[in-house]
Amino acid sequence: MTKNVYTVKQVNAYIKNMFTQDFMLNRIYVKGEVSNCKYHTSGHIYFSLKDESGTIACVMFAGQRSGLAFRMSEGQQVIVFGSVSVYERSGSYQLYAREIRLDGEGQLFERFQELKRRLEEMGMFAPEYKQPIPRYVKKVGVVTAPTGAAVRDIMNISARRNPYVQLILYPAKVQGEGAAESIVRGIHMLGQTDVDVIIVGRGGGSMEDLWAFNEEIVARAIFECQIPVISAVGHETDTTISDYAADLRAPTPSAAAELAVYDVRQVQSYLEETSLKLRKLLGQELKVNRMRLHQYWTRMKVRHPRQRLLDQQQRAADYEDRLRAGMEDRLLKARHRLALYIEKVKALSPLEKLNHGYAYVQDERGRSVRSISGICKGENLSVYVTDGVICAEVREVKEEKHG
Amino acid sequence: MDKAEKKESLEEMFTALDETVTKMETEELSLEDSFTLYHKGMELLKKCNEAIDQVEKKMLVLDEEGDTHEFEL
Repeated sequence: MTKNVYTVKQVNAYIKNMFTQDFMLNRIYVKGEVSNCKYHTSGHIYFSLKDESGTIACVMFAGQRSGLAFRMSEGQQVIVFGSVSVYERSGSYQLYAREIRLDGEGQLFERFQELKRRLEEMGMFAPEYKQPIPRYVKKVGVVTAPTGAAVRDIMNISARRNPYVQLILYPAKVQGEGAAESIVRGIHMLGQTDVDVIIVGRGGGSMEDLWAFNEEIVARAIFECQIPVISAVGHETDTTISDYAADLRAPTPSAAAELAVYDVRQVQSYLEETSLKLRKLLGQELKVNRMRLHQYWTRMKVRHPRQRLLDQQQRAADYEDRLRAGMEDRLLKARHRLALYIEKVKALSPLEKLNHGYAYVQDERGRSVRSISGICKGENLSVYVTDGVICAEVREVKEEKHG
Repeated sequence: MDKAEKKESLEEMFTALDETVTKMETEELSLEDSFTLYHKGMELLKKCNEAIDQVEKKMLVLDEEGDTHEFEL
């Protein structure tokens, strides 16, 4: 007993050295269930990992917290990466955690990444294969669970936006055993109907719950579907392979219904507005034309033959009046003149001269006798005097010359 | 798929409607042309309304045989 006595410090240092020399214990993955989890105010986290056989103490120092992406809690299955070493003050060993991941999810995430890469390389997510989502649909296929929030949300939103759109549900199993096959069947069944678009999805859940939507057969069914597919899986932050393969990704089932179903009120009000506009435009056109017609009518009226006839009658009447007036004027003047002439003629009447001892002589042919020429002896002459005619016979004709 | 053509035509009808209205608004037209456009527009509106098919629909469920039934929550 006297030989080889060591101090506690020596022993603990020795053991610690053994741990640090050990290659495996320096980089080790340990899985187990979280228990006695304490988040210390210093930022360190103290917890234990346990399984059916026992426990191991663990610590994650504040400086390593970047290796933990979730809030650890009792009962979680986790995989801790770190090193096992000795805590000399208590002479116990513990696991110094550098990275902690939820068990299962880590594997799922790796499978997800791997499948995503593979399908992406195949071109399954390529934009050129995306089908446009028709804007005005009549029928919408839905592949989701017949119970739960997703189907209710889709029904409510669709009915609110457009109650005339027909929804056809394929009640699928969306999680657990056989879920992927059920979803695929739903896509195939609805793909053979006359729906305009298919919504494939479910409400929120853990990565495991959503896993069916990360299965290759589901991605392929979506990709190969002849009818445009909108994926609507979980919440805004959840992204699945189905989302990449679909023609359109909706962040939630409600959003998918918003995207698929057009708002009928908008369309109806557009139609009403357009109808009103057309009526108004035609009304204006008619008004303008009526006005033009009225103008033409007014102008035509002025040029109507009856009007011209009336005008001409008027003119004729005017002429008649003028003619009549002119004639009367003339007559009046003529009468005046006649009266004057009568007076003048009276003054100049040969009868007056005859009163002064002159006579008017006519030969047998009624010609006035002014000279001896043409007068022969024995010719009868008529001599007019004031109170009658003297019938005389020429006895002799003598010429007399006057100075 | 003839369905695809049908629903395209609703969009086409909207385009045609817009064109009709714009033409009536902007162009110098004879009364005959205005009437023709008006009737065309009204006809399109009627067709659009018919295309909307204003009967409220209940959700249907597709079964494994491809038959549909009314859906009960």
